[in-house]
Amino acid sequence: MNALAAIGEALVLIGTFFYFLSALGLIRMPDVYNRMQTSTKSATLGSLGVMVGVGIWALGTDFGSAAWLVKTIAIATFLLLTNPISAHALIRAAYKSGIPLWEGSVVDKYREHLEAKEKVAEEAPAEEGGEE
Amino acid sequence: MLKRALAIISLLIIGYWLAQGLAGVPFGEDKMLVGQYYLDHVKEQTGAVNAVTAIVVNYRGFDTLGEVTVLFIASTGVGALLWRKKRERTAKTEGSIVLTTGTRLLVPFVMLFGVYIFIHGHLTPGGGFPGGATIATAFLLLYMAFITYEIPHKAFEKTEGIVGMAYVLVGLIGLAIGGYFLYDWIWQDWKFGADNIGRLFSGGFIPIIYTIIGLKVGTELSGIIDNMLKEEVSE
Repeated sequence: MNALAAIGEALVLIGTFFYFLSALGLIRMPDVYNRMQTSTKSATLGSLGVMVGVGIWALGTDFGSAAWLVKTIAIATFLLLTNPISAHALIRAAYKSGIPLWEGSVVDKYREHLEAKEKVAEEAPAEEGGEE
Repeated sequence: MLKRALAIISLLIIGYWLAQGLAGVPFGEDKMLVGQYYLDHVKEQTGAVNAVTAIVVNYRGFDTLGEVTVLFIASTGVGALLWRKKRERTAKTEGSIVLTTGTRLLVPFVMLFGVYIFIHGHLTPGGGFPGGATIATAFLLLYMAFITYEIPHKAFEKTEGIVGMAYVLVGLIGLAIGGYFLYDWIWQDWKFGADNIGRLFSGGFIPIIYTIIGLKVGTELSGIIDNMLKEEVSE
């Protein structure tokens, strides 16, 4: 048990803790948007922690090599870049298909924006800017 | 309600029957007869480290040829079923800017990873089929993010046919040299990469076959996606 293995174990522990929080958020939160907010963020962070942690953990053991760390960092980077895009696409699709916000929500600027855009398109029908 | 209950009961009976049949098979005991032979001889006979791909491509290459044929028939069948004179993509909304930009950045990496999978079929898990499916995923991403994207049809259909023929051709060369279909001439006769086992340039004709399969599966699945996403348009 050396320092690298200890750091790796701690990172994996933090990662699993964030995984747990993300699953908890799925149960706890009131509507789709809040659920996505809690689950995607903490799941991404948890994955990063677990993956990089496994790479560092493997460095600290006698069978480990730098290949582990390189591989895990590549996977972690991929997840870090793709998870937010998928969350964005999911939430946008949810909004476009008309899933309502939580009844406690106060501001919906996006709807105002869409409605303003429609109004502009109605007033100037020559331009084809109405379609999103 | 009665239908559902009957279905559940009959499923339970079938499940119990299967479990009774499997109860006689001991779990976790060494019962390998042919499998042990494969494990003992895979390196010297095929030059591959990955025993699964060696079996799939080398020992039982005929099955893989059959699978490729099945995929080809599926692709042709979808094409024939959905054939219309004039078909276009009728998607209405472009993906959001985040999605399109992300796709633009991501597609080369997805393709690179697919190529990596099928080139390293004899070393790492995977092979031609997962690699080809990954490449098709890249094209699916393009289709999903852009409303007007279409695969380059001419090149794709030609590639599909040519690599399909190339697989049979590799097998026929083996037939000419070694006496049976899909004989691994690169490994058995040339001994190419014999002192290199476990590195990229080894594994007989497994990397070649898997490159062929990867290209074929990639183009075929992309073609199926293309066929299914298009809709008939009236003039």
